Amino acid sequence: MANLPAQAAADTLGARLGRVALYAALGLFALFYLMPMLVMIATSLKDVEEIRSGSLLAWPQSVSLDAWRYAWSEACIGVECTGLAPYFRNSVLMAVPAVLLSSLFGALNGYALTKWRFRGANVVFGMLLFGSFIPFQVVLLPMSQTLGFLGLASSVPGLVLVHTVYGIAFTTLFFRNYYVTLPDDLVKAATIDGAGFFTIFWRIILPLSPSIIVVTVIWQFTQIWNDFLFGASFTSGGAQPVTVALNNLVNTTTGVKLYNVDMAAAIIAALPTLLVYIVAGRYFVRGLTAGSVKG
Amino acid sequence: MAHLEVRNVRKSFGDTHVLKGISLDLAGGEFLVLLGPSGCGKSTLLNMIAGLDSITDGEIVIDGRVVNAVHPKNRDIAMVFQSYALYPNMTVKKNIAFGLEMRGVPADERARLIAKTSALLQIDHLLDRKPAQLSGGQRQRVAMGRALVRDPKIFLFDEPLSNLDAKLRVDMRTEIKKLHGRLGTTIVYVTHDQIEAMTLATQIAVMRGGVIEQLAPPQDVYETPANMYVGGFVGSPPMNFVPATVVDQGNGLGVRFRCAANGGDGDVVLPLADPAAAAQWKDREVVFGLRPEALTDYNEAEASIREHAHAFDCRVDVLEPTGADTLTYVELGGSTAIARVNPRRTTRPGDTMRLMADMSHASLFDPSTERRI
Repeated sequence: MANLPAQAAADTLGARLGRVALYAALGLFALFYLMPMLVMIATSLKDVEEIRSGSLLAWPQSVSLDAWRYAWSEACIGVECTGLAPYFRNSVLMAVPAVLLSSLFGALNGYALTKWRFRGANVVFGMLLFGSFIPFQVVLLPMSQTLGFLGLASSVPGLVLVHTVYGIAFTTLFFRNYYVTLPDDLVKAATIDGAGFFTIFWRIILPLSPSIIVVTVIWQFTQIWNDFLFGASFTSGGAQPVTVALNNLVNTTTGVKLYNVDMAAAIIAALPTLLVYIVAGRYFVRGLTAGSVKG
Repeated sequence: MAHLEVRNVRKSFGDTHVLKGISLDLAGGEFLVLLGPSGCGKSTLLNMIAGLDSITDGEIVIDGRVVNAVHPKNRDIAMVFQSYALYPNMTVKKNIAFGLEMRGVPADERARLIAKTSALLQIDHLLDRKPAQLSGGQRQRVAMGRALVRDPKIFLFDEPLSNLDAKLRVDMRTEIKKLHGRLGTTIVYVTHDQIEAMTLATQIAVMRGGVIEQLAPPQDVYETPANMYVGGFVGSPPMNFVPATVVDQGNGLGVRFRCAANGGDGDVVLPLADPAAAAQWKDREVVFGLRPEALTDYNEAEASIREHAHAFDCRVDVLEPTGADTLTYVELGGSTAIARVNPRRTTRPGDTMRLMADMSHASLFDPSTERRI
């Protein structure tokens, strides 16, 4: 019995060491993942001279925001030296309506497919599901013909249409799987109370959907903002989204390569998605697991 | 006070026939309970009356108007669901007001009706809470409030008490009964609980496999079940069914069955209270049905005042005390029967006991069709 306290002490010591090792490992992994980001930020704050002479990992000796300003408003993208600003604006004008529209249609589809089951609802859902597996390269040619026919070729509204249409498959899947878990009796009760299809949707179903709305919005925003293929295929010149403009900025070189400007531009292009994750990330995890536990 | 008529209503999904021709006629102010096991079609019938399920064939008529094609909201009915189906995002007040709002009732009138209803159901202190903050019993009241506030012609209840614990269920049962007494509205109520059906109903429709087996006031269903299924489903413990033969007995007829007693195995013959009804069954096999409370311990005083009480001896197999009565298991005609015996007059298992059968409450059934004779 006398060795019990000693054993307990060894246990706590062992546990402490385990804890230290755990945090060391976690810290190492965090560093590993953050390193590229740190290098990008550091490089974007240096001037060209320092980049050429110094080490890649070194912290900037004098912090300067010149590269950021240049990337935002002066850098040449192709022949236009306007910086990223107008293209960033294009991306916002493309992503915000496309995210809202595709989420709204997804919610309506999911609601109709689960709460107003009609003959063939499962077939319709199966076909929509299939839509989320279509490789986008397949639709490039017919889509560009369609956009031309509609007079939306090489325009931001054209991109909004493309992203809304191809987003519906995913958003419907999300909302449908969430609405399956809502009790049908709610709709029956509201029907007897005198509410119709849209009233039930606005007054009862949508107010119960914040978690799945957040998941869908994050997913759609990330997809649409980061899209390169559609942006590069269906737009040119002033209508391009920021991802395409970033590519052109990096590829437009006259003389010395301005790594600090490239890095600043890349961070600017990635900032909105980063921001969405920081603001709504915790709802994302919660929403992904919603419905798995009966609540 | 609405008159509800269901005329030969059928419901089929392809080759599956859920309802096979249901007809009933319910006068205004009646309390109809649809009673049956799960899958008998009772909830489907309720949903069809509500307009939530389409009707394959037949007519549903409310106050003389065929409502087959009328939208649920225009049928002037209200429904209480088993899951309560309260809108989780709205407060109790908004839950109750929703139906009024949809019908365009002005705000001040809504407030007056909510106050009246919530006072009636004693939920006035809960009006600003969300459903998640309420107990099961409170949710049940709110669900009823949502139905009551519109003052509909017909109330529909779909197993409203089955999610409550046993004690609360009994309390709410009484409240629903009081409410019906006060409002006098026509009610259709679905349950699988025969005690709920007996206590609440003015009419019970016992259903099985998409047909109504019997439609009658609760006491009639209990005392003169239309067939063995109804006798076995209603009542706890259920009716005793004893294989027996109709034989001559004195001036009339009696039922004869075997029964072990006093170390031997003998025949018991009990005279029938109404021999005329069984005349054509003489010397044929029947099933003799007797409620447990009509089979009791022998009591000389009682036997002398009851004209149709007859005593016989029988060996006791098992005793189950319930407090008020001791359920005494005996074997009659080869099948187990239960007698309700005064706990002070029980005997030990294996002993022979003198029992008394009140033949004025006896039922006879045809063994092949299981129908009442």
